[in-house]
Amino acid sequence: MKTSSATFTLLDEAFSGIWRARRMVLLSVLQIGVSIYLVGVFLLFAENLSGITETVRDESAITVYFRPSSTSVERENLEKFARDSHYVSAVRAVSSAEVRKRFITSWSSLATAATSVEPNPFPDTVELDLLPDALVSRSLPGFLTRLAAQPGVDDVQFDVEWIRRLRGVVTLIQTAGAFLGLILALGAAFTIANVVRLTILLHQDEIEILRLVGAPEFLIRGPFVGGGVVQGFLGALLALGLLALSFHGVIRYVAATKNVLLGVFVVKFLPLGPSLLLVSGGVLAGLLGGLLAVRRRHIHG
Amino acid sequence: MIEFSRVTKEYRGRRVLRDVTFLIRRGEFVFLTGPSGAGKSTLLKLIYHAEQPTSGRIVVNGTEVASLSPGKTAELRRSMGIVFQDYKLLPDRTVAENVSFVLKFLGMPAAERKKRTYQALRLVELHHRQTALPEELSGGEQQRVALARALVNEPELLIADEPTGNLDARLATEMMKLFSAINIRGTTVLVATHDQALIKETGKRTLTLDRGMVLGEGEKVSLPPQALGKRDPAETLGHEPRWRDRTEPGG
Ligand SMILES: Nc1ncnc2c1ncn2[C@@H]1O[C@H](COP(=O)(O)OP(=O)(O)OP(=O)(O)O)[C@@H](O)[C@H]1O
Ligand SMILES: [Mg+2]
Repeated sequence: MKTSSATFTLLDEAFSGIWRARRMVLLSVLQIGVSIYLVGVFLLFAENLSGITETVRDESAITVYFRPSSTSVERENLEKFARDSHYVSAVRAVSSAEVRKRFITSWSSLATAATSVEPNPFPDTVELDLLPDALVSRSLPGFLTRLAAQPGVDDVQFDVEWIRRLRGVVTLIQTAGAFLGLILALGAAFTIANVVRLTILLHQDEIEILRLVGAPEFLIRGPFVGGGVVQGFLGALLALGLLALSFHGVIRYVAATKNVLLGVFVVKFLPLGPSLLLVSGGVLAGLLGGLLAVRRRHIHG
Repeated sequence: MIEFSRVTKEYRGRRVLRDVTFLIRRGEFVFLTGPSGAGKSTLLKLIYHAEQPTSGRIVVNGTEVASLSPGKTAELRRSMGIVFQDYKLLPDRTVAENVSFVLKFLGMPAAERKKRTYQALRLVELHHRQTALPEELSGGEQQRVALARALVNEPELLIADEPTGNLDARLATEMMKLFSAINIRGTTVLVATHDQALIKETGKRTLTLDRGMVLGEGEKVSLPPQALGKRDPAETLGHEPRWRDRTEPGG
């Protein structure tokens, strides 16, 4: 038998089998959909949280504050020291005048106070953008210490710890999501196996007839396995649909209530990768369920 | 084609067939008759391995049936056409689907399946009911769908259990003509039937079962299997079976 026509026959039979048991299939698709939806919520949450750490990283620069007594040579030496290190992607000198200007823009209510004070109370600074690898590098604290020890430097500001913690939270959520996903996927597989088993029971007469006229075993069992796979696939699509709906619901709620905190946490939908992960999870659960259901014990030879 | 040597079949200790021995050669047309409960259906089930003999040897198409794996059994059944006494149609598929699905196993393209299905349904005069479901058909119509399904794959061996039980006299005769035509084209045919008139009409070799034993064909049945085996090589496809015009047993 040619594989293409055999595959077609299998799919054909799977779909007509599903159609004939559509009510039960609907129930199992709903359950699988809700399971995958829950996993999706986790993934979405983790995705957005790690999005925040990305944003923070983009904005996170080391700020080096110079003493008022620092000389321009000291400042240039520091810039050179930073540039020569393996941690920095960009170096920006920000003069005390520039810092004052920024302060006034951000805190307009204090503008008069800030402008009236002379001499300029803001120090000269240098902002260093870190390379992506540097942020997680173990030797970063050493680099910060060396920066602080440079002549003319008053203080070095860089709080890497809270980013690390946030990343830890993201990892935790991802791990929990994966764990939950595994459990829910197994649950979904068992649900699918039960539905498939039930359809097998309903089709006992048909299976007997197929056997009597010499149907190959893969054509007898295949459609039931295929039915499981299709259920898993439909469940995953349903979950993605629900997820998109609730995502847009939250976005709209945020827009209406101007709930900034929520707005920070929910900004983007699942990208292609995790979405495909959900769909293939559904398909795999369906395949597993289908295979569990057609073991010899359940489909008599 | 089909060889039974001292075959006994018991259902939970109740003997249904005892010491049944016979040989059907390739290209033969044989009737199997006997009263209700004599074991006709049981004998046919043994041939297509839906039942296992309690003792004895059954060889179909050169292989011993009892030792066939499920896969080989399916293969054997695909080479046959079987008309079941209770039809065994798939209830939620149309007439055309019921006939054409056996062609799917052979990997036949859809267009070819459709053509063959139409032809088979024409032979049984049901080509105008292709889209009907079995429950929408009369008993005789369902029987003819079962017939069409058994014929559609042009089997080497056709086994029919009471294929005319629900047909009127005209259709019964038509179907027997159809069987004869198929037989002439080379298919071995074995038909179980009560209908003595039909057997007379066609005048073919007949095996008669009574209380589990094969009556008639007296001397042939008592021959030891080895003797039957020795006679086999002399037979070639298309030869007139030797005992075709022997006395009609059970008649
Ligand atoms: N699965 C079974 N379990 C127990 N007994 C059976 C089984 N199948 C058939 N029998 C018994 O075997 C005997 C022969 O049955 P079988 O169906 O072979 O008869 P038959 O000759 O085909 O009869 P009919 O002409 O009515 O179709 C009957 O007495 C029947 O009760
Ligand atoms: Mg019978």
